[in-house]
Amino acid sequence: MSATLAPQSSSTESVRTSTPRWLSVIGILGVIAMAFTVWLGLWITPPDVTQGNLARLLYIHPPIATVALYWAGGVAALASLLYLWPRTRSFFWDRLAASAVEVGAVFSALTLVTGSLWGRPAWGTWWTWDARLTSTALLLLLEIGYMALRRVPAEPAIRARRCAVAALLVAIDVPIVHFSVNWWNTLHQGGTFLDPGFKLHAHGSMLWTFLLGFIAFTLIFVWLLGMRYRIEVLQDHVGDQELEVTLAERWHEGDELAPVGAGPVGVDSDDGGAA
Amino acid sequence: MNYVVAGYVVALATLFVYALTLVWRRRRWSRAFDVVRANEVTVGGDVQGHGTPPVSSGRP
Amino acid sequence: MWRDALLVAGKDLRIEARSRVGLWQVLPFAFLVLILLAFAIGPDDAPLRHAAPGIFWIAVLFSTVLAIQRSVAIESGEGTRDGLRLSGIDPAGIFLGKAASIGLQLAVLQIVLWAGVTFLFDVRVHVVWLAITASVLATVGLSCAGVLYGALSAGLSVRDTLLPLLVLPVLAPVLLAGTKAWQAALAGNASAGTEWLRLLIPFSLIYLVVGIVLYGPLQESA
Repeated sequence: MSATLAPQSSSTESVRTSTPRWLSVIGILGVIAMAFTVWLGLWITPPDVTQGNLARLLYIHPPIATVALYWAGGVAALASLLYLWPRTRSFFWDRLAASAVEVGAVFSALTLVTGSLWGRPAWGTWWTWDARLTSTALLLLLEIGYMALRRVPAEPAIRARRCAVAALLVAIDVPIVHFSVNWWNTLHQGGTFLDPGFKLHAHGSMLWTFLLGFIAFTLIFVWLLGMRYRIEVLQDHVGDQELEVTLAERWHEGDELAPVGAGPVGVDSDDGGAA
Repeated sequence: MNYVVAGYVVALATLFVYALTLVWRRRRWSRAFDVVRANEVTVGGDVQGHGTPPVSSGRP
Repeated sequence: MWRDALLVAGKDLRIEARSRVGLWQVLPFAFLVLILLAFAIGPDDAPLRHAAPGIFWIAVLFSTVLAIQRSVAIESGEGTRDGLRLSGIDPAGIFLGKAASIGLQLAVLQIVLWAGVTFLFDVRVHVVWLAITASVLATVGLSCAGVLYGALSAGLSVRDTLLPLLVLPVLAPVLLAGTKAWQAALAGNASAGTEWLRLLIPFSLIYLVVGIVLYGPLQESA
């Protein structure tokens, strides 16, 4: 085993527990953008020529898939690489990768659900085993596997390295999902709005709503990522102190009951509060 | 149209609920973190906590 | 015996609730088996729809092996098993408790897995009581046989490879009967299905009784 330079955890003084301003702003902008997307998508835009109202799901399904696949997958892969590279190694990347995988899993699941709801009226079935859907389901399972791996107790540096490798293995599925519609004969169509050459095909209000959907879900993704990252940091700093935390909480269970200076009576009520 | 509405509702509701769980988890771990920090200050780094209960963590 | 069983069942379930191994590992594994079998049987819908009950039960069987390994592993720490024996808890109670805990986890697994199968393979159960009865009986058999064989292989260094080898042939009747019963339930053919229930009932009863009787002696000799 090579001698790894374990990254130094920051001391407790530098850990902030409140949400940074810029993140809150992004969250608010995301919610506003989402509200407009819903309003435009469900009411203002006209029904599609071929798909009718069903096309309205295309304002949310591709953006959700984009977040799941490219933003979450990309962040997880990039962060894992940066962690593994000795020169940029830092727990920041490890925690960012873990956060990206979890948020990505939520979006992957939503991709499958929204896609399914579109597919039922369009194809007559909730599910089909074509390459794109199957590889996306596989992506979700891989992400869940990563999350299970992350929960196995270990030294932070060891866990970080293990998870970084696991995240890169998860990321292998991303190009497979992307190219699945080209490599195999799939029921799922190729890009409706984008083809592999990345050219746009929609027009008018539909195009703007579509773009707005992308922006909204991207902003929401960033906010969720930031929140999840914060949790990861706090968890790591509490770390193996969890027992002390639980003990402290037990000690203080009687605080609200016994007034300060009650002496032995106060101690007894503490014991009474212990489960 | 029902499928469309269902899709929007599921997507937004899921993200909303997930956001709520994140907020709740952050609060919970923040509290735990405050306790740890209080331990370090009062017990002077010895967080085995033998015998002496730590100073109140200020839990709500 | 019953109170001890409740005690042990509660302990195992609480450990599961805290560690969530079932949720994070066993359940995704079951879905993984579904997907792998779907790969193997091919993208056409008809063969998949036909094979759906079999796929479901294979996934349940493999997940049972995982659940048993987990249940055995809980007590594999230094002296834990000895402590359990010395505690005076009725061994039959331990058996029932562990079986109940696994049974409950398997029941939840089957519910979720069945929702998945319905969704992924486009099938629907028409004779619900048949499907549920078959599942309940099968679950009893799976848990009892599983805990018994888990105890058999516990403490051995080759435990992880030995357990599947020992227990899966024993569970084969459950696979057969369960699949046939569910096929009948999907097809709406109740009478054909009840034939297979007649296989599940004695199987489950036998392993329940054998487990209660043999678990104690098994622990003593381990």
